[in-house]
Amino acid sequence: MADIDDRSVEPEPYEEPAPELGRLHRDYVIPGVSPDEDNPYRWHTGEKRDHGGEDAIEVIDVVKQFGRTRILNGLNLGLPDNQISMVLGPSGTGKSVLIKHIVGLLYPDAGDILVHGESVPNMTDDELFEMRKKFGLLFQDGALFGSMNIYDNVAFPLRQHTDKSEEEIGEIVNRRLREVGLAEATEKMPNELSGGMRKRAGFARALVLDPAIVLFDEPDSGLDPVRTALLCELIREVHEENGGCYMVISHDLGTARRIADFIAVLWKGRIVESGPSAELFESDNEFVSQFLNAETVGPLAMD
Amino acid sequence: MVRAVADRAFLPAKSLFEQVGNMMILTGKTITAAIKPPYPYGGEFISQFLFALQLCWFPMMISTIAFGFGAPGLQAANFLSLFGALDRLGGFFILASVREFAPFVTAVVVAGVAGTAITADLGARKIREELDALQVLGVDPIKNLVVPRFLALMLITGLMDIYALLFGITGGIFAELAYGQPLGGFFATLFNNASVTDLWGSILKCTLFGAIIAVVCAYKGMNASGGAEGVGRAVNQAVVIAFLGVFAFNYVFTQTLLATHPEISVIK
Ligand SMILES: Nc1ncnc2c1ncn2[C@@H]1O[C@H](COP(=O)(O)OP(=O)(O)OP(=O)(O)O)[C@@H](O)[C@H]1O
Ligand SMILES: [Mg+2]
Repeated sequence: MADIDDRSVEPEPYEEPAPELGRLHRDYVIPGVSPDEDNPYRWHTGEKRDHGGEDAIEVIDVVKQFGRTRILNGLNLGLPDNQISMVLGPSGTGKSVLIKHIVGLLYPDAGDILVHGESVPNMTDDELFEMRKKFGLLFQDGALFGSMNIYDNVAFPLRQHTDKSEEEIGEIVNRRLREVGLAEATEKMPNELSGGMRKRAGFARALVLDPAIVLFDEPDSGLDPVRTALLCELIREVHEENGGCYMVISHDLGTARRIADFIAVLWKGRIVESGPSAELFESDNEFVSQFLNAETVGPLAMD
Repeated sequence: MVRAVADRAFLPAKSLFEQVGNMMILTGKTITAAIKPPYPYGGEFISQFLFALQLCWFPMMISTIAFGFGAPGLQAANFLSLFGALDRLGGFFILASVREFAPFVTAVVVAGVAGTAITADLGARKIREELDALQVLGVDPIKNLVVPRFLALMLITGLMDIYALLFGITGGIFAELAYGQPLGGFFATLFNNASVTDLWGSILKCTLFGAIIAVVCAYKGMNASGGAEGVGRAVNQAVVIAFLGVFAFNYVFTQTLLATHPEISVIK
């Protein structure tokens, strides 16, 4: 029997066991994964095809759990600068949760998020405040301020972050509202608008500061096909004008074909595959091709 | 199996402690945010104060007169009339109304009327992701939304306490009159027993009730989840927890006040 008190033996350095890829831990549930499924990640090559540029946002090994449900499970993702990227994935896989991590509204349980090389979870409140000035964010439900009319909602970021006079602000706000077709509705309160109109107002608000990084959470949901097409054109135009890293979340393949330079497919808390959109549409990965061609037969089913 | 049962039995308690801890943290953050410049919450403070005043003044008047007339008034008068000591009712009102019932009724009315409005308002904003949007736009919800409500509720409960004292004693006067007594004895024992300690103790206590109500209601609103139904649940829990908090704090405060000011225990 070894002497328990023998201190001369160097203890083995303790290492955090790396999360075993492809196997499910018993203690948590991943949405859409049945516990007896032996490798839920068999389609996740995680392959990242070269997009020929720098990444503005890097998500590294991010794990996020709500209670016992693991939403992000070792997520790795890079979003290229000066391109429009698109994150696609089945409903409920954590796309909106991902956006909230990027702007620092949620903290990862493990892993890191870098925006222009700076770690978001490690920022102090003041640093976070400075960093957020770079961002334009369209929430999934618009998140307009219910106590302000549409004009004031869109003017809010300008009043908050710039010293512009009310005249200059008025010019910018009216231009943005015209672009999204809400020029007539400036005096309306958010609860007097339809869902699609609220979405467009949120869209205008996300863009008034000409931010370097714009995150759109389903800008096209609740819009008619023509308005969706026009909105895509608008995103393209604004991006050509300002540049920067644009990230669009959408379920609409038409939108993906129209605006995406770069596509990442998210499923079960990890990226299945990501790369320039033309290459991804041609991917021979079973899941990716099922998803991007909207086929009923393949790895993804209703449950 | 055993663990599942244990989880179910103990989890609510654990989460209650956790919530109380989080509320303490929120209190700390609120006070810090209130003190640290800049002070962008002036306008919101005034509008919240007026809003609470507008909501509370009428229910307060009805509740305090009715309560003062009914509970310490008629019941105590009935009891005192046994001894032919109805003039002592004034002194009893210092004990009952000033020290306990006025702050109590104020807390109940303010929590039920203004506190729930705060929870519902903040909860709706939380559900619509407005609070997230504010943060992303560089606006601190604690400084801009919680601080003005916190201060407004403290001020309103402090003021409403005085209001409750006046109307509560009016209820006592009605009770005295209902027993056909002249009011001289009532006022004599009232002022005999009244001390400055009683008055500031009452107002201080009530102001702190306001702080408790504001923190609990703001916390519950800001942490609402699960759609419109979640807001309803948050309002419900906010009222329950605010009452619990107020009653528990009341005990501590009363004990402390009596221990540090023994002279107020002497009934003259
Ligand atoms: N604050 C939270 N607390 C608990 N669970 C949450 C929270 N936020 C999100 N979730 C859960 O995380 C999962 C992913 O949510 P998310 O909103 O990111 O999905 P999504 O990919 O954006 O879906 P959709 O395409 O339908 O918008 C959901 O199952 C949701 O219930
Ligand atoms: Mg979403």
